[in-house]
Amino acid sequence: MKRSLKQFRYETAESLHIALFQIRANKIRSFLTALGVIIGIVAITMMGTAINGIDRGFDKSLAMLGYDVIYVQKSSWSTMGQWWRYRNRADLKTSYTEAINRTIEDNPNSNLLVAVPQMSTYQASVQYRDLTIEQAFALGTSYRYPQTASGDLSSGRFFTPTESAAGTMVAVIGDDIATGLFGEREAVGNIIKMKNSRFRVIGVFRKQGKFLGLFSFDNQVIMPLGAFEKTFGKKGFVTLRVKIRDQKQVDDAKAELLGIMRRIRRLPPQKEADFSINEQKAFKSQLDPIKNGIAAAGIFITGMSLFVGAIGIMNITFVSVKERTREIGLRKALGARRNTILMQFLIESVMICLIGGLIGLVTSFLMTWAIATALPDFPVQFSPALVFASLVVSVATGIISGLAPAVNASRLDPADSLRYE
Amino acid sequence: METSPVITMRDLKRHYSMGEETVKALDGVDLEFLKNDYAAIMGPSGSGKSTLMNIIGCLDTPTSGTYILNGQNVAEMDDDELARVRNREIGFVFQTFNLLPRINCLRNVELPLIYAGVNPREREERATEALNRVGLGDRITHKPTELSGGQIQRVAIARALINNPSIILADEPTGNLDTATSQDIMEIFSDLSKAGNTIILITHEEDIALYTRRIIRLRDGRIESDKKQ
Repeated sequence: MKRSLKQFRYETAESLHIALFQIRANKIRSFLTALGVIIGIVAITMMGTAINGIDRGFDKSLAMLGYDVIYVQKSSWSTMGQWWRYRNRADLKTSYTEAINRTIEDNPNSNLLVAVPQMSTYQASVQYRDLTIEQAFALGTSYRYPQTASGDLSSGRFFTPTESAAGTMVAVIGDDIATGLFGEREAVGNIIKMKNSRFRVIGVFRKQGKFLGLFSFDNQVIMPLGAFEKTFGKKGFVTLRVKIRDQKQVDDAKAELLGIMRRIRRLPPQKEADFSINEQKAFKSQLDPIKNGIAAAGIFITGMSLFVGAIGIMNITFVSVKERTREIGLRKALGARRNTILMQFLIESVMICLIGGLIGLVTSFLMTWAIATALPDFPVQFSPALVFASLVVSVATGIISGLAPAVNASRLDPADSLRYE
Repeated sequence: METSPVITMRDLKRHYSMGEETVKALDGVDLEFLKNDYAAIMGPSGSGKSTLMNIIGCLDTPTSGTYILNGQNVAEMDDDELARVRNREIGFVFQTFNLLPRINCLRNVELPLIYAGVNPREREERATEALNRVGLGDRITHKPTELSGGQIQRVAIARALINNPSIILADEPTGNLDTATSQDIMEIFSDLSKAGNTIILITHEEDIALYTRRIIRLRDGRIESDKKQ
């Protein structure tokens, strides 16, 4: 037993030696053979990287919405696009928040913390001297807004309860607006114009990036609700932002809010709710099918390229066995067993695949790095799990594609092989 | 001199079926080789000498009959057992040398020891010693492509010797060599015989056979004559 173990070790060492030797002796052929695996592994890792990146980018976006904030709106996020279901609903009123907050105060066991009104429009343009930014997102709210939103100020302050109640013409602006209008200069203290109203800038938000690559939080101009109504009228889109006590009890919180809202809207029990309570989870459930679709397509493409690669390796290993028939005969005459020959060719194909896999990994690592450098917003991420998975796939490809030719080689008749020309 | 039989063959037959026909390459061979035998197997082409060599060398098994090599019944062995016997009991020397062209002499000579599970240091020692024995101690790092035909065949003989086999089986060992080189190689075989090795040559050249002490002639798959000289 000890002897055969030693023998196995020496034979394996010999096989590794031969394999490296063969690969070095046939560099171009080996490279072309490995190309299939290289492409396959690049496909796998880029795919995995993209999915990782989407996940990460998505989580980042959801964090902007806040995990502990739910939103009452006219339409639902999870059935977006079905606008006809919602267009006949009665508009929400910002004053509902007062009623909600009174209910919360009366109930010490409430799952809700605070409700904050929000009235908004995408159609605002912001002016400073001769500079204009179109399509800014104007948002009127109360002084409690920061409790329900992520992002801190890079300079200045948020408006006070007094300013909030009075509807003072002050604005806290997003980073893009600040840089767009003031460049490197300090924005706080300057007067900007929206429609025909003049606002004093009192604060600037730190840069946050885009939500799902669509909506930018850096493009906002936030002002007291009263100031918003004076400037844009009372026709803005209303959202009630409700902060909850514990994000683990979001379902209880939603149920409680639903009850409060139904009372405010005076809905009889049998009538369907004419408003929607939204949370960030809705986006997740919308994104999952997309992500799975990308993954399925990716696995298919990757599988195809690996399959083609495997056939190439199988083909070249068959050729290699044919070319080295005499060598196989000789090795058998000198005492190589079937398994010795089998291992020799398997190790050779596995090694080609492994080298291909490593080249593929380096290639996709460089590609990921290049993409991440060139487009910092593009979500890509390279993970150790991907490295491991690619190496496993490489070895598996080597074994699968090398098995048939290797078995073939191991069964060659030594006497005939020695005479093979 | 010791006279225990190394090889005993009884009524050995090897038939090939070629479609409808059956070719009787060997048709009832009885042979014995004693330790330290130095024999030549001769015969015209088609006489069955290659088939006999394959069977003696355990590269092939007989259709019927018995073949006892060093007390082991080879006729009933499977592929892996045959591989082990080839590795331990037989040292091959081929007409076409059959060295691996791209590895050096030392690595060529130590190949059988790899399959025998010998550790690298001992492999190198024994391979160097075997190359010294055939007078190539100064060529161990050369590749076969850098050597002459005679030198290559001497490397092959060193490889055949390395595992101390029961028999050295040489198939037309001088077939690809000129006369002078052939003589050199045959001198080596004669020396090995004097040192106590059992050697079986397959040849069709009378002057090569004359180096040996026993000539076995085959014809149509049977032994025509078996003479000591």
